Parts: sequence; C-alpha cells; structure tokens
Amino acid sequence: MKGLLIKDLYVLLKQMRIFLLMVVVFAIIPGSSMTTFAVIYAAMMPYTALAYDERSRWGELAGMMPYSTREIVLSKYVLGWLFTGGAAVIALAAGLVEARMGLRGCSPRMAILSLCIGVIMMAITLPPMFRFGVEKGRMLFILVMVVAALSSVSLVNALDQVVETRALMSVLGLCLPVAAVVLSAVSVLLSVRFYTVQNH
Amino acid sequence: MTEELQNALELRHVTRSFGDFTLRDVNLTLPSGCILGLIGENGAGKSTTIRLIMNTLRRDSGQIQVLGRDNLSPDFRETREDVGVVLDEAYFPEVLTAAQVAKVMANTYRRWDSLLFARYLQQFSLPSGKMFRDFSRGMKMKLAIAVALSHQPRLLILDEATSGLDPIVRDDILDIFLEFTRDPAHSILISSHILSDLEKICDYVAFLHQGSLLFCEEKDRLLETYGVVTCGPAQLAGLPKDAVVRVERSGYGVRALVRREKLPAAIQAERASMEDIILFLVKGEAAQ
Repeated sequence: MKGLLIKDLYVLLKQMRIFLLMVVVFAIIPGSSMTTFAVIYAAMMPYTALAYDERSRWGELAGMMPYSTREIVLSKYVLGWLFTGGAAVIALAAGLVEARMGLRGCSPRMAILSLCIGVIMMAITLPPMFRFGVEKGRMLFILVMVVAALSSVSLVNALDQVVETRALMSVLGLCLPVAAVVLSAVSVLLSVRFYTVQNH
Repeated sequence: MTEELQNALELRHVTRSFGDFTLRDVNLTLPSGCILGLIGENGAGKSTTIRLIMNTLRRDSGQIQVLGRDNLSPDFRETREDVGVVLDEAYFPEVLTAAQVAKVMANTYRRWDSLLFARYLQQFSLPSGKMFRDFSRGMKMKLAIAVALSHQPRLLILDEATSGLDPIVRDDILDIFLEFTRDPAHSILISSHILSDLEKICDYVAFLHQGSLLFCEEKDRLLETYGVVTCGPAQLAGLPKDAVVRVERSGYGVRALVRREKLPAAIQAERASMEDIILFLVKGEAAQ
C-alpha cells in the first residue's frame, strides 16, 4: 500500500501546499469552528486523488500490480485519515500556542471531535465515489454536507433546550469517536464491494 | 518438472459474456521461453482476454493458470510480482514524473531494479523530471515498457504496447523483447495490430475474431502450412477442394489461400504472410 500512498502524495503535491496554507490559516484563527473547517478540507483530499486516478485510468494499471482490491480502496481512506489527523494536530498545536497567548483556540476535545466529523464525512461519502465515480460522488457529497449542516444545527438547538452545553460536549465526545470507527469499518467494506463490482 | 519448464499461460475453455459481446471458449497455451502474439480486430476480445488473465475481470467459466498458478488463487497477488504489464495506454497519473513513477514502483514491486530502470530511461531518451502529461504517446508507451521490464518479471503481457512508436524505436523495443525471452523462464504475450511486428518476434500466434479463437498455432507451422495462389476462376476450379481455404475474387482474377501440402506439385504457391492469412480468414469467401 505504501506505493499507492506515495503515488497519491505526489499527485497531491501541488494541492498539499495550498492545503497546508489553508489549514494553518484555519487553525490560527481563534474559534473552534475553524478547526472543523480545516479538518473537513483535509477530508476532501481523497476525492482529489480519486479524480486524478479516474482521469488517468490509474485503476486499470493498479489492478495489474501486486495490490489487492482492499489495499487499493483502503489506501484512499488512509490518505484521508493522514490528512485529517495532520490537520487536527496542526489546529491543536495552534490552539496551544493561542492558549499561551491568552486567546481561546482549539482545545484537545475540539480537535478530536473535528477529526471524528472529518472521518465520518469520509466514511459516508467515499463509498458512493467508488460506486458512481467522483463526478456523481461529489454531488452526493454536497447533498450530504447540506443535510448534515442543517440537521446538526437543528439537533444542537433542540438539545440546547434540554441539555447543558458541557453535557452535550461530553455526549458527543463519547458518541462521535465510536461512530467514526464503526462507520469507517462499514464504509471500507462497502467501498471494497463497490470497487469490485465497478471493476469486474 | 521444474517451474521454468511449466507453461507461462494456460487458458482452458474461458468464457466471459457482457450481454452484447461474448468471449467464448478460449483455449490458449504459452510455453515458457516463448512469445505468443494475440491478433484480432478492434473489439475482438484481446484486451478482455488480458484482463481475464490478470483477474481484473471475472470470468464466467473456464480455468486460467499464470506461471503455474490459478489466477483465482489467493496467492495470485504473488504471481503479479512476476508479471510485467503494458496496457494500450500508459495510465500513469499525468502529474507524475518518471523519477516519481520509479519511487512508486520501488514501493510496489519487491524486485524493483532502480539501476535497470535508469538504464531504460537513458536508452529510450526519456527525461526523468518531466511530467507525464507532457510526454508524447511514444514516450508514454516507452515509460510503461521500461516500468514493466524493471521489476524483473518472468512474464510480460503487452496490450498494443508498440503502437504509437516510430519504426526505429519499435524495432529496438522488439529486440529488447527478443532478448528478454532468451532466458527460457521468460515469456511474452503480446497483442498488436502491427502484424509484421508479430511475424518478426512471435513463436506462436493466436487469432481472435468476434470473441472466438480461430486458431492458436506455432507461427512457423502456420507459415509453412499456408500459401497463396493467384489464378483465374477456371484454374481455381481445378484445384483440389481440400487445398483451398479461402478465396478473394477481383476484376483481375482470383487469389486463394491454400494448404501447400494438398496442392498438386505442378502448382506453385507464393509464401503467405501473417497478414495474408489473417485477411483471408476474416474477409475471404469460403471455398466452394
């Protein structure tokens, strides 16, 4: 899988510079929502890698190499996890610096929650990308994002009436990591199945 | 029997249907140390056959052994280390350079030989720092061939690998393929539209037509078996019926693909090229 990841990193080299700039900008702006933006932006990197693969028909060549379908699919998830993890770490580091300066930046809990949101987002949107291709997958991605944004705002508002913010964060702190792990496991299995159907 | 003496490829009764196209009952054998040319018009099933061999396409029925291993076996991934593949296009991401491709391949194939790859880049005059999208088609194919040869494969599978190359480079690359099969453990399956290339390097020739394998024969035997007779309709009628395979009529007379051994001694047949044999089989009329 190392070869596949190296290939994706080379492909994303140009985007990585912009990515780093964006993440640093998002991370150093005080305010927790910026961390989430940085992580979500990072979670979109596998789509760009997939788009390059699709354009060059890399999948046809990779299929001839000593890689299993699972490795080919999993490499995109690993790429996403590396980028989202990296973004969360940068945001956290910026948060610690800001805290020393007396500003309210990203807290460790917020970094973990943002990371979970990014991972969940990939888990939901990657299987359709493998099934329908990046073009159609992107449309679905936008739809998921809109629905997720609207429903989470409504949910938080509703919960706010009955639960304290601190309690809400505790619940999310427990639920989101579990959801991220479970959804990712299911998502990888689904993507492998879709990729196999698509390519056989 | 040692592994070197096994057949490099064995396809038995392989069938795959797509609805509007069926590759049916394909039987092929590629002995180790040999080159098998796969011929067929566009859409005849050559690329499908190659995808079936590498198990990137599931077959409906039949058996495929690659380097002595069933390609449905969980260990087939190991076999892929020994197979160098060049597809009809190079399919490397367009922003990669040859140097970056080398790094990717070094982390893909266990026996990747960086020095050998560098030598091929030099031999093919390929720049290592230029992006793949800026390569000409010929350069792209040369890069794909260099990659396929640089992980020390025992079997090369080449799908239209020489198309798009100028005749001089093509000739050099054919020589590299011939050199590759000097090792008796090395074999090549090559599909091409350029029949003269196949005639030059192949030991065996398989001809696919509309999804069916019309023949898989030793090339020399094929060229010895068939000949071409140019004559008039009356003379054609006088030839033994079992000697005439296919006929091509024109305003100037008749050309017939014949079996040399069935011809009377008085009739001289010209040598049939591979192209003659294929064209007669596809376009010629059946002998009456």
